[in-house]
Amino acid sequence: MYRGREGQWAFYLHRISGVAVLLFLMLHVLEMSSSMFGPEWFNALLAFERNPVFGLGLVLVAALVLYHALNGLRIILMDFTSWGVRYQRQLWYGVWVLYVLIGFPMFFTMLGYVFGGGE
Amino acid sequence: MQVTLKILRYNPEKDLRPHWESYKLEAEPMDRVLDLLHKVKWEQDGTLAFRKSCGHGICGSDAMLINGRNRLACKTLVRDLGTDVIEVEPIRGLPVEKDLVVDMEPFFKAYRAVKPWLINDDPPPQRERLQSPEERARFDEGTKCILCAACTTSCPVFWVNGTYIGPAAVVQAHRFIFDSRDQGAHERFPVLGSTGGVWRCRTAYNCTEACPREIPVTQLIQEVKRAIMFGEF
Repeated sequence: MYRGREGQWAFYLHRISGVAVLLFLMLHVLEMSSSMFGPEWFNALLAFERNPVFGLGLVLVAALVLYHALNGLRIILMDFTSWGVRYQRQLWYGVWVLYVLIGFPMFFTMLGYVFGGGE
Repeated sequence: MQVTLKILRYNPEKDLRPHWESYKLEAEPMDRVLDLLHKVKWEQDGTLAFRKSCGHGICGSDAMLINGRNRLACKTLVRDLGTDVIEVEPIRGLPVEKDLVVDMEPFFKAYRAVKPWLINDDPPPQRERLQSPEERARFDEGTKCILCAACTTSCPVFWVNGTYIGPAAVVQAHRFIFDSRDQGAHERFPVLGSTGGVWRCRTAYNCTEACPREIPVTQLIQEVKRAIMFGEF
C-alpha cells in the first residue's frame, strides 16, 4: 500500500462512500418500485426490512453519505478557491470535526430507532 | 549501522513476476539510498539494475518507491527513513523492464502531448520577448520540474486509469499556459480537456507529497482546471 497522507485517504474514502451510496440508491429504487405489484408486496417488503440488519445498514449508509457530503464541500473549496489546496489537510480535519458534531447525534438517534423501536 | 535493504527484483528472462530479495550491509546514517544500491551492485550482486545519472537530484533518473513513498534515491538519506529496514520498489504504473528500471515511454508520450515548448507565431522582436518579473513569477513553480515521474507514478488515478496524462504533463502544460509570451493554449486544450486530461485528477495529493522539487503539483493542476473552466483558453 502506497503510504500517501491525508489527501490519499480522503480520496479513497470519498470514492468508496460514493459507490456505496450509489448501490444503496439502486436498492432503494428497487424497493420503492415493488409497490407496482400492489400493497401486499410493498408492505411485506417493508415489514421484512424491519429487521435490525437493515436498520444497521441504514445507519452505515447515513455515515457514508455524511462523509461524502462534508468531503464534497472540501473538494468544492479546493476546486473553486485559490487557497483551498493549500489548506486541504486542515480542511480534512475540519470535515472530521463536523462529522463528529453532526454525525454522532444522528447515529445515536437512528440506533435508538433500530433497537428501541423508536419514540 | 547494519541495514537490511529489500529490493523488488525482476528479471524478464527468468522471472514470471517480481520478487523481494534482501541484502544486509553496513551503512552510515548519512549514506543515501543510492549509495546502498551501489554497494549491493558493486559488492554483492552485479546483476542489479537501476537508473542513476547525476546523483544530485537534478537529472531525475532515480525516482523509486522507497519505504512506501516515491522519492529520489540520491536525495534520500538512511537517517531520514528512521528505520534499518529499507524497501525499494520500481515506481508504479509504468511497465518494469528489469529490477528498478521502468519503461518511461508512456510518461514521455504524455509529456510530448501537451506541447511543452513556447508557441508564439509573432515574428521575434529585435532583442527579446520582454517579460516583467511578475509575469515570470507566475509560472516559476513549473520550471523546477526535472521529469523524474515521482508525481505521476504516485497518482492512484494514473495507476489504474491508463489514459490519464498524469501530474507531470499538466505541470509542464501549466509552465507554458501561464507564460505571458506563449500563445499555444488553444493547441494544448484538446489534450488537457480530453477524458485523459486534467479532469481525471481527483486531488489525492500524492503527487504534491512526492515531488522532490517541492512543486505544489496539485495547486498547478487546479489552476489549469480553472483556466479551462473559466474560459481563459
